[in-house]
Amino acid sequence: MSTCNLNVNGSAVSAEIQPRTHLADFLREKLNLTGTHLGCEHGVCGACTLLVDGVPTRSCITFALACQQADVTTIEGLDDDEITRELRAAFTREHGLQCGYCTPGMVVSARDVVLRMQDPSERDIRVAMSGNLCRCTGYVGIVRAIQGVIADRRGRGIAAIPNGNRTRLGPSGSGNATAVTPASVRPKANAAPTAKKAEAPAASAVSLRDTSWKPQTTFTQSFTVGHPVDDVWNFFADIGAVAACLPGASLAGEPVDGHVDGQIKIKVGPISAEFQGIADVTRDDATRTGTIVGAGKDKRSNSSTRGLIGYAVKPGELADQTRVDLTIGFTLTGALAQFSRSGLIQDVAGRIIAVFVQNLETRLSHRSGGGEGEPAMVEEFDAGALMRSMALDYVRRALRWLLRRS
Amino acid sequence: MARQGVGASVPRKEDDRFLRGRGEYVGDIRLPGMRDVAFVRSPLAHARIRDIRIPPHLRSSVFIASDIAADTRPIRAVSGLPGFKPSDQPILAFEKVRQVGELIAMCVADTRAEAEDIAAAVEVDFEELPAVHDMLLARRPDSALVHEEWGDNVFLETFVDINMEAAYDAPIKITREISTARQSMAPMEGRGTVAVWHKRMDQLVLYTGNQQPHIVRNGLSECLNLEQLKIRIVSPDVGGGFGYKGIVLTEDVCLGWLAMRCGYPVRWIEDRREHLTAGANCREHHYNITVYADRDGKLRGVECEASVDSGAYSSYPFSACLEAAQIASILPGPYDFPSYRCRTWSVSTNKCPILPYRGVARTGVCYAIELMMDAIAHECGLEPYEVRLKNLVRPEQMPFDNITKKHFDSGNYPESLRQALAKIDLAALRARQKKGEPDGRLIGVGLSVYCEQGAHGTSVYAGWGIPMVPGHEQATARMTPDGGLELRIGAHSHGQSMETTLPQVAHEILGIDIARIKLVHGDTEYTPYSTGSWGSRCAVMSGGAVATASRELAKLVKGIGAHLLQTEIENVKLENGAVVGPSNSVKIDEIAHTWYRRPQDLPATVDPRGLEVTIGYKPARDSGTFSYATHIAVVAVDPELGDIELIDYVVVEDGGQLINPMVVDGQIYGGLAQGIGTAMYEEMNFDTSGQPLASTFADYLLPGPTEVPAPKLGHMETLAPYTEFGVKGIGEGGAIAPPGAIGNAVNDALRPLGAQVLHTPMTPRRVLEAIQAAAERRKAKAPELAEGLPA
Amino acid sequence: MKPVNFDYARPDAVDAVIRLIADDSRTVKMMAGSQSLGPMLNLRLVQPDLIVDLTGIEELRCFSDGADEISIGACVTHADIEDLRVTDVTRGALPTVANGIAYRAVRNRGTIGGSLTHADPSADWHSILAAVGAKVVLRGPAGERTVAVEDYMVGALEADLRPGEVLVRVVVPRLSKSARWGYYKSCRKTGEFAHAIGAFMTDPDRGVSRAVIGATESRPVVIATASDVIGDGRAPRPSDSFDGGAVGEILEKAGMVDPLDKQTHVAALRRAIEQARPQ
Repeated sequence: MSTCNLNVNGSAVSAEIQPRTHLADFLREKLNLTGTHLGCEHGVCGACTLLVDGVPTRSCITFALACQQADVTTIEGLDDDEITRELRAAFTREHGLQCGYCTPGMVVSARDVVLRMQDPSERDIRVAMSGNLCRCTGYVGIVRAIQGVIADRRGRGIAAIPNGNRTRLGPSGSGNATAVTPASVRPKANAAPTAKKAEAPAASAVSLRDTSWKPQTTFTQSFTVGHPVDDVWNFFADIGAVAACLPGASLAGEPVDGHVDGQIKIKVGPISAEFQGIADVTRDDATRTGTIVGAGKDKRSNSSTRGLIGYAVKPGELADQTRVDLTIGFTLTGALAQFSRSGLIQDVAGRIIAVFVQNLETRLSHRSGGGEGEPAMVEEFDAGALMRSMALDYVRRALRWLLRRS
Repeated sequence: MARQGVGASVPRKEDDRFLRGRGEYVGDIRLPGMRDVAFVRSPLAHARIRDIRIPPHLRSSVFIASDIAADTRPIRAVSGLPGFKPSDQPILAFEKVRQVGELIAMCVADTRAEAEDIAAAVEVDFEELPAVHDMLLARRPDSALVHEEWGDNVFLETFVDINMEAAYDAPIKITREISTARQSMAPMEGRGTVAVWHKRMDQLVLYTGNQQPHIVRNGLSECLNLEQLKIRIVSPDVGGGFGYKGIVLTEDVCLGWLAMRCGYPVRWIEDRREHLTAGANCREHHYNITVYADRDGKLRGVECEASVDSGAYSSYPFSACLEAAQIASILPGPYDFPSYRCRTWSVSTNKCPILPYRGVARTGVCYAIELMMDAIAHECGLEPYEVRLKNLVRPEQMPFDNITKKHFDSGNYPESLRQALAKIDLAALRARQKKGEPDGRLIGVGLSVYCEQGAHGTSVYAGWGIPMVPGHEQATARMTPDGGLELRIGAHSHGQSMETTLPQVAHEILGIDIARIKLVHGDTEYTPYSTGSWGSRCAVMSGGAVATASRELAKLVKGIGAHLLQTEIENVKLENGAVVGPSNSVKIDEIAHTWYRRPQDLPATVDPRGLEVTIGYKPARDSGTFSYATHIAVVAVDPELGDIELIDYVVVEDGGQLINPMVVDGQIYGGLAQGIGTAMYEEMNFDTSGQPLASTFADYLLPGPTEVPAPKLGHMETLAPYTEFGVKGIGEGGAIAPPGAIGNAVNDALRPLGAQVLHTPMTPRRVLEAIQAAAERRKAKAPELAEGLPA
Repeated sequence: MKPVNFDYARPDAVDAVIRLIADDSRTVKMMAGSQSLGPMLNLRLVQPDLIVDLTGIEELRCFSDGADEISIGACVTHADIEDLRVTDVTRGALPTVANGIAYRAVRNRGTIGGSLTHADPSADWHSILAAVGAKVVLRGPAGERTVAVEDYMVGALEADLRPGEVLVRVVVPRLSKSARWGYYKSCRKTGEFAHAIGAFMTDPDRGVSRAVIGATESRPVVIATASDVIGDGRAPRPSDSFDGGAVGEILEKAGMVDPLDKQTHVAALRRAIEQARPQ
C-alpha cells in the first residue's frame, strides 16, 4: 500500500491505496465521489473526465499516485463554478442529457471548450467534444448548449483563455510531489500467485482432438537448399531441431508417441506472453510430408494459440538440391485475440514466421555446407531485439506473404 | 405558471441531479461490508470443460457450477410458437461452454482488482470444439451443433405465404442479398448488480440497472427457486438501456445466490470488455429478398428468406425467436401490396445471445425493403420518392389492415414524405450531382420510410408465447398530506424523461404544479407490476395509466372539495390545482390536509379510498400504435478513401400527440445517432473460431459529435384513435430508418460507378471494395468502354 | 478491468530510472502520461512488477531552444506543444498535428516520448516527426545515443530501446522560412486510430524534402529524398509534381500488397502535399 495525498475539491485528502488504483477508483471507492463515472476504463468514452491541476484529464487511465499532491476537481466540486453553472442551465434548456451517465464528463469537457475557445464554429465544438461519447442525445442539445454559453459569455465581454491557464509543462497532475522509491523487492501482493511452471501440467491445458480445426491465418513459403532430399527429410524428423528454429520455442523433452510438451515465449513491446502446451507430430514417409500441430495457453492473458507447421520435402531442380514447401498457420483465442486491429497481430506473427524460415534455411544450409556445431540463431522472440538483429528487407519480404484473416 | 401539461416542452425535472453528478447508478451504491465479484469467463466460443482447477487457498472465494447447482435453475426463455427449441442457459457453465464470455466461476474479494486476481488464478482445461460462427453455415447439415440434443442449429423456423404466386408474372423481378452486422447496444453505463440479504425484511434485495424490474423478479424467482415475496428488485438510475438492460442475467442469479449464502452485500459491475465480448448483442440479419413490380413502380409482391443470428441462448424474457419471427410480420413496412412470402430462421451460433435493440427487427427490415424500393425505382426509371408514393398506404385507407394483418391505426404516410422532400431541394441536388463536385466526391440522396408499431399489448404478445405478456398497465396516484402527488409506475425511466413527462400528464388532469409531482419507479417494493420499458410503450401505457389514475384521483379530490365547499360534486371542477365551486374554491393542498390531518372535518359518507388510486389501463385496441417517419439523407462519398459524409439529414415524423415535444426531439436525435452507428460505424466482428474481435471502444466505434449531424426535424401530429390524448409510441423510431436512407444515398452516389453497398456498416473499406468490384465487372464486360469511365 | 498489482517508483533523475529498469529480476515498465499504457494495464495485457513513473523528472518536462534545433523533453505533453508552451520551430507543423491527437483530455497527459516509445504505427508523432527530420536521444548505462525518429520504431509496438535505455528528449530541427509542410490522416471518426497518414515537409533553403506514409501495419515508410515523388518544393503547388505511381511502388516494396490499402495511403500523402502550408 502507498499513501496517496491529493487536494480534492479544495480539501486535502489522504488514503492508503494499492499503486494500481486509478484516479477514478480512488475518488469513487475511497472518497465516495461517485459523480465521476466509468464508461470504458480505456480512455475512449470520456465519462470519467475531470480536472487535474485545472485541465481535463481521463481519470480511468491516470493512476492516483501519479497525481500525488495535485489539485483534483470532480463534478461535485463544480457546483459553484461560474461556467459550469451556466452550462447546467444551458444543458437543461437544450435537452443536452437523457440518462445522465456521460453528463459529468461531458460537462467537464464542455467547460474546457467554453473556457478556451474564443469563437468556435459548430464544427470546432464538435471536434473539441469528440472525446466524450453520448449514446442518448445525438449530441444536438449538447452542442447547442455549448454554443449558447459561449455566445453569451463573449457577448458579456468575457474572452477565452486558450491555454486554460496552464503554464507548466508535463502531464497534468505531475510535478507536484517528490520522488518515490519502490518498496524493496518483495513478493507480489496479488492474491493470485504467478503461474508456477511446475504446477501447470501443460499437456492437459489444451487439446488437439478437434481434427476439423483450420488456422485463422495461413502463410506459405518455399525455399531450396543444396542438400540431398533424404537428409532434409531426416532433419524434419528431429522435432527438437525444428522447434529450435522457432524463436522463443523450447521443448520439455523428447516426443513420446508423437506428442511432446513445450512452450513458446513472445514479447512484443510491453506485452509478453508465454504459451505452454503440447505438440503432435505426424510424418508420412511415402509422400515426404509432415505436420507439427501445437497448442498452448498463456495464463497471464488467458489467451490460447494453436499453430500448424506443414512441410513437404521434394527434390529440387538440380541434383542434391531439395525444395521445402512450408505451410504455417495459427489461431489466437482469448484476450489477446479480441481486438479489431488484427494487422498488429499479423505484423508480429509475420515477423516470428520470417525468423523461423530464416532459421530453418540457416540451419539446413549450415548442415548442407558441412558446418561444424550449431549456427547462431535467434532464440527468443523479442520483437525489438529481432528487428535490430535482422536485415529489414527480409522482414519486408516476409510481410508480403501475409494473408488476411480468411 | 407556464404551460406544463400535455404538449408543453417543459424542462426536465431529472436534469439537476445528473448535471451535478448526484445521480445514483448501480455502481454508485455503497453498502457496509460490500465485497466485489469478478467472473472467470470462457475464452473460447465452443468447448468442453474438462477440469477447473482452483488454488486450494482460494477455494473459499471461488464458486463454480457444482457449488450452486442445488439452489439454482438455468435460465429458460421459451416461446410458444410451434417448433421452438428451448435452450437452457447455465448460471455457471458445466460440461460445455457455448460462447466467449460465458460464466464459469464466480470470485469474491474485498475489491474488484483482487477479485480479478483470484479469477486469473483459476485454471480451466478445455477441449475445444469447432465453433459455429456463421449463421448461414450453421444451417448446413455438416455444421457443428451448439445444442447437440436439437439435431440442428435452428431455434425456430417460420413461414408465411400470402398469394405469392400471383406476383410471378410481374415484369420486374429484382433479387438482392442484404445484411446488417452484429452490434453491441453499448449504453454508456454497462450492467451491474448489487445484492444483499435484508434480514429484517427476510428478503433478497437486488439492485440491478434494468428496464424491467418486475420481470427480473419473475426470472430470479424461477432461477433461485425463491418466492417473490422474498425478492425485491431495485433499478436505480440507469445509464441507458436500449434493450441491453431488458434481460435477466446469469450474473443477477449468481449475485442473488451469493448474497443469500454469504450474508454480506456483493456487487458485480460489468466492465466494458465484458460488455463487448460477453454481453448480449443485437441486429445480425441476413436477407435473400426478391421484389416483383410493374413497370410503373407498383409493388406486386415480396419474397424473402431471412436469417437472424440469435447466438447461443434464448434470453429471458424476449426469447431467441422474437427478432426473426418479427421480420416475417413487419417486412412489408408501410407499403400496400398483394403478394407475400417469407421464411425466417432464428439460428443458434457460438456467440452471445441477441436481444431486441432500439427498433428491434425494424432497422434491418427497413434497410432491406428500402434498398429494394430504390432498386425498383432505378429499374423503372423513376425517382425513388415516386415509387414510395405509388405504394405507401394512403390516408383514406386508415385504419388499415396490411397484408400481415397489422392494424395501422392512423396517419398520412405520403404527406410525411412530401414534407420531408420540401426540406431539401431535390432538383438542385440532382443538378449538382450531374455537374460533379470540385473535390471529386460523389453526391447522393436517399430516403427511407418506416412505420413503428409501439405499445402493442396482450393480444400480440400472447401470440408469441414468451415468458412476458403485457396486460393492463397500472399506475398509482397518491396525494401526500401536504398536497404533493406521487406517481408510481412499474416501468422504468432511464433517459426517456418520464420523471418529467408523466407529471405533465397528471398536471394536465389535476392541475398540480409538476414541481410538486414526483415519479416513483424502479422498485418492485413500491410500484405496481409492469412488464417494464420496451417497445416504445411507456408514453402510451404508463402515460395512459397515469392519466387514468389521475382522473380517478380527480374524482376523489372533487368529492372532498365539494364537501368542503358545501356543494355537490356535479357543481365543481378542477382548475389550476384547486377545486372550484359556484361561489368559492379550495386548493388541492387543503383537500389533502383535510383527508390526512383533519378527518374530523369529513362526512361519514366520504369515499373511503381517500386520495390514493391504483388502476390499470389498456388502450381501446391493444394492437399497438403506428408512428412513422420519412428520413432523407444527403451524402458525399469520397471514392478514393471510401469516406461518407452526411451533408444533410431530414426527419419528418408523426408520433401522434406529443407529451413533451422537446423530449420527443431528443429521442429522435438520439435514435438517429444510433441509426448512423448501425449504418456506418458499429460492427461486432467474430473470427472463424468464434472470437469476438472488439473488446474496446477503439475496436467498436460509436458515433461521436462529429459523426452525427443535427437533422432538420419536422412533426406531424395525427392523433392515435385508441390511446389517451392520441399519443403514439415514438422512442425507437429514430434508430430504424437511417441505414435505409444512408444506404440508398450512398448507392445513389455510387451509381455512376456501377457500385452498390448492401451491407451495414457501410465502412470505407466496403465502399472501396464495392467500387473496385464494379470496376472489375466493367472491365470484364467491356474493357474498351471501361477506359473512359472514372476509376 | 483492473490492473495486476504492481510496485510504483517515481524517481527524480534519469540515472535513477536507468538503475531501476536495469533490474531484470522483475518486469519493469516505464510510464509517462499513461494514456497508452493505462488501457493496456487495465486490460491486463501488460502485467508489470514495477512501474517507473518518469513524470517526476524535471529534466524530462522541459525544452531547450537552440539555434538550429529545439530539444523537447520526453514528458512534454501533446497539449504543451499544441498550446505553444513549447516554442514552435516547425512553422506550425507540430502544434497543428498535436491538436489532432486523440482528445484534449488525453493530450493533457499524453507525452511525446511516451507516444514514440509505445510505437503504435497509427500514432501521429512518428509520421510528422519523421517528416520534419527529428531525432530522439536515448540515455542508458553506456551514455547517450541519437536515433532518427523513423528508425526508433522497429515494428508495431516495438521501439529501439536497448536494455536500460530511456528516451530523454526529441530533437527537432528549426525549419527555414521557405519550408512548407502538409499532414493528412484518414480516420473513420475523429480521434480514432488513423488508417492512413501522409506527412511531408520541404525546406528548399536547407535542401531537405521528406515524405512519410504512416499508419501502415508497421513502421512508417519514409521517403528521405522526396524530390523524386514531390519535386524540389519550389513549385507553386508541390502537388503538381506528385508521382502517385512511384509512391505506390515504394509502398509495395515496403510490403503493402493490398491495392485498396495502397490507394488510401497514396491518397493520404497526395492530400498532405496538396494541403501544404503556408500556402
